[in-house]
Amino acid sequence: MWQWFYKLGSPRHFYDMTTAFLPWLYGITFFLLIVGLVWGLGFAPPDYQMGDNYRIVYIHVPSASIALGGYAMMACMAAMHMIWKIKMADIVAKAIAPVGGMFCALCLFSGSFWGKPTWGTYWVWDARITSTLILLFVYVGVAALRNAFDSENAGSKAASVLTIVGIVNLPIIHYSVNWWNTLHQVGSDLSLQAEGANPPEIWIPAFFMGFALLGIFLLAIILRSRNEILVRERRTQWVQDLLDHDLQEGLQRA
Amino acid sequence: MPEFQFEGIQDFLSMGGYAFAVWVSYAFFAVVVLWSLIQPRIERRKLLQLHKARMQREAGVNKQRIKEQN
Repeated sequence: MWQWFYKLGSPRHFYDMTTAFLPWLYGITFFLLIVGLVWGLGFAPPDYQMGDNYRIVYIHVPSASIALGGYAMMACMAAMHMIWKIKMADIVAKAIAPVGGMFCALCLFSGSFWGKPTWGTYWVWDARITSTLILLFVYVGVAALRNAFDSENAGSKAASVLTIVGIVNLPIIHYSVNWWNTLHQVGSDLSLQAEGANPPEIWIPAFFMGFALLGIFLLAIILRSRNEILVRERRTQWVQDLLDHDLQEGLQRA
Repeated sequence: MPEFQFEGIQDFLSMGGYAFAVWVSYAFFAVVVLWSLIQPRIERRKLLQLHKARMQREAGVNKQRIKEQN
């Protein structure tokens, strides 16, 4: 187990392992996505207060979780890179920044279009929404800061520091609905016994959509990390051989 | 088994009066999914093209050298 984990720290092993793992992840993700979309959009019953508008929640909540969880993951990678100088951790951190930012934008965007019919406005400056907007800016800032340096090393060091400082925003977003009076509702009690808990017809598709979005997020960061490995290790023999091989396959197909 | 909640495709598309909000949100979701999966593939194709160009350049340099030697 530990050896397996240790091996992931080597770019070459990461590349080989994900080559074997990717088809499975594609399959599972598309299965979850199709079931979740059909069920969530067509078969789940309308909410008794929000009608069909609540179907937006099936993409809003998972994208929020991924925006926050993805940031925590990026911060772990940044810390691993700073403390143990693990190259692979920096590669993954670099891959997360734009993808996490996109999911954060999706969260804000879907929430905004949900809010217009429900609250009567696209946007309010309440604590939850404002702190999530700041998270989007931090994602963009981390990606931009990395690219602002000519040296790869200086860029990744600066991005790591900013990423770690930015963690302070995560508990603020999470507890904002409890600490302040926000228009955004507090998080639901997820236990099934809770009063007013959603029936299975509503939460089962949410489960499918949640894991589908997680699958898409993981696919995106794995694909980006693999490209980054090919760039950073381009002078090694194994990458040269791999590119030769892929090029030949591509020519045969064309 | 869950039942289809709408009466026909027209009713489904109208989303109980929330068509604009629901479909705009899902359209943006589709953009995020496509960007997530296609952008890295385009990037990868660029890497392969760069590699191809480098190989051809090296092959050209080698040919030149052989010519000069003869």
